[in-house]
Amino acid sequence: MSGILPVFRRSMHESWRSLLGWTIGIAAVLFLYLPLYPSFGASDEMEQLIDSLPKQLVDTLGYNQIASGAGYTEATFYGLMGFLLLTIAAVLWGSSLAGAEENGRAELDLAHGIGRSQYALETALSAFVRLVWLGLFAGLAVWAMNGPAELELEPLRIVGASAALVGLAALTAGAALLAGAATGRRIWATGVGAGIAVLGYILQALAKQSEDLQWLDALSPYSWAFRQSPLADGVDVGGLVLSWGIALALVMASALVLRVRDLRG
Amino acid sequence: MTDTIDVRALHKRYGHSVALHELDLQVRPGTVFGLIGPNGAGKTTTLRTLLDIIRPTSGTVRVLGEQPRRGGAALRRRVGYVPGELHLEGRVSGHRLLAFYAEVSGATGEAAAILGAARELADRLGVDLNRPVRTLSKGNKQKVGLIQAFMHRPELLILDEPTSGLDPLVQREFLTMVREAREAGQTVLLSSHVLSEIQQTADEVAVLAAGRIVARGDVASLRLGSMRHVHVLIGEGDVADVRAAFERIPGVEGLEIGLRAGDAVQLSATIEGAIDPFVKSLARYEVRELTVEEPDLEESVLRLYGDSDRAAAEHATRRSRRRGE
Repeated sequence: MSGILPVFRRSMHESWRSLLGWTIGIAAVLFLYLPLYPSFGASDEMEQLIDSLPKQLVDTLGYNQIASGAGYTEATFYGLMGFLLLTIAAVLWGSSLAGAEENGRAELDLAHGIGRSQYALETALSAFVRLVWLGLFAGLAVWAMNGPAELELEPLRIVGASAALVGLAALTAGAALLAGAATGRRIWATGVGAGIAVLGYILQALAKQSEDLQWLDALSPYSWAFRQSPLADGVDVGGLVLSWGIALALVMASALVLRVRDLRG
Repeated sequence: MTDTIDVRALHKRYGHSVALHELDLQVRPGTVFGLIGPNGAGKTTTLRTLLDIIRPTSGTVRVLGEQPRRGGAALRRRVGYVPGELHLEGRVSGHRLLAFYAEVSGATGEAAAILGAARELADRLGVDLNRPVRTLSKGNKQKVGLIQAFMHRPELLILDEPTSGLDPLVQREFLTMVREAREAGQTVLLSSHVLSEIQQTADEVAVLAAGRIVARGDVASLRLGSMRHVHVLIGEGDVADVRAAFERIPGVEGLEIGLRAGDAVQLSATIEGAIDPFVKSLARYEVRELTVEEPDLEESVLRLYGDSDRAAAEHATRRSRRRGE
């Protein structure tokens, strides 16, 4: 018998340095953008500038709400830089299963007393825990700057926004994991993970352009998380459940798919 | 007593190419079994099937009495494996890497004892476990690979080209480890393309070529080492005279004789069977240079292929006998 979650623990032990780097990156983004809100987002000049931009561009970037603390935080972090950073992390960490198979580590690991499903599930758990940490840290940082940056956010809604962001990233990681579990190729895992994230972003941007295209929102994981502003109006619980539910379903599918095929040599 | 490894009619296909044809392989408990063959013969495919890394297209595989797929992780804890291509990457030290495998493949409370065994093996093989594995040379990585397979004293060791990258001294130490494992009652299945390594350790051998077993038996009966290439430089001699002297010796084939600078005569030949008559004849001349080479495996296997009609006939009778039972 082995100890509890050995693959997960090894993964966390091996990645804490890199996780620290990601955490610092997110802190840097937040401490760069949020303190500018009083002089930038809430200023009259900014409002005039935004009024002069094409409406489609403003809608796509979510700058139409930038004059409120909630809108500013979403337009700069949750919907943009935070989304970008967590998506990249999710794609990388979701692809690690395929990476291990490509570099031969999975062969040695799975020749030992580790089950295939266990291997996929613990790899997913490691990715999810790290994403949750990044979301939690971002939420704490936003909360810490809520007063100093005059954002006037409700603390509970910060939790909702972080949960929505992490759910979106978890779905991306799940897609990368499943593609990797099915093919054993890192390029496929990365491509599918990144593809899903980019497609979701494009679909919601198109949906904002006209009433006729609004149905595209239903297909966009990004919309499930952010169409209803989680900071201004509270998180869309249905969207939250949907993204987390799909993320978990993708992980389960990965665990099953990895069982049935030959490993690549 | 049931065989430790029992493979019957194992067939493995990748798309249109067939990697293994109807392979039969039995390894008795407590023996060392050598699997030899040129690259691409199907050795690695066979070994990976035993560990459930890949699955058979058809046929049955039993390892320690269980099907690898059904036995799962619990079965694999009873097996030590060195993959044919060992990749050790990452920042982790050899020590931590081995601690991880000791944890997942050892019994509860045994991790400390296994790590003790690992340290002992590291001392014997001469590898520093404190260094990050990625900074180790190929040979030292291979040592770590051997340690992770041997340290928990599994009932069965499956070793795919285990000595690749090792220097001769360490290779000898490895052969000692294999003998010790056999003495301790462990079963070893060893693949290699180095003949001598198999000859020194294995009780039984199977020769694999193009996905089929072309010969099998105990090492001596395969007479893998019975052929030699010789090159001789003889000082002062007559070409015709030398030819006449060596042509008549039984087992000498492919005799080539030519004149070299001065009166020296260059002689090359292949000797099948006893080398003594050739050496006795040679003694009459002034020998300036002499090399005797073992054939490489490729050549040996090709020779065995020459006998493969007989092998196929034997195979067929064995199969029909089995069906008749």
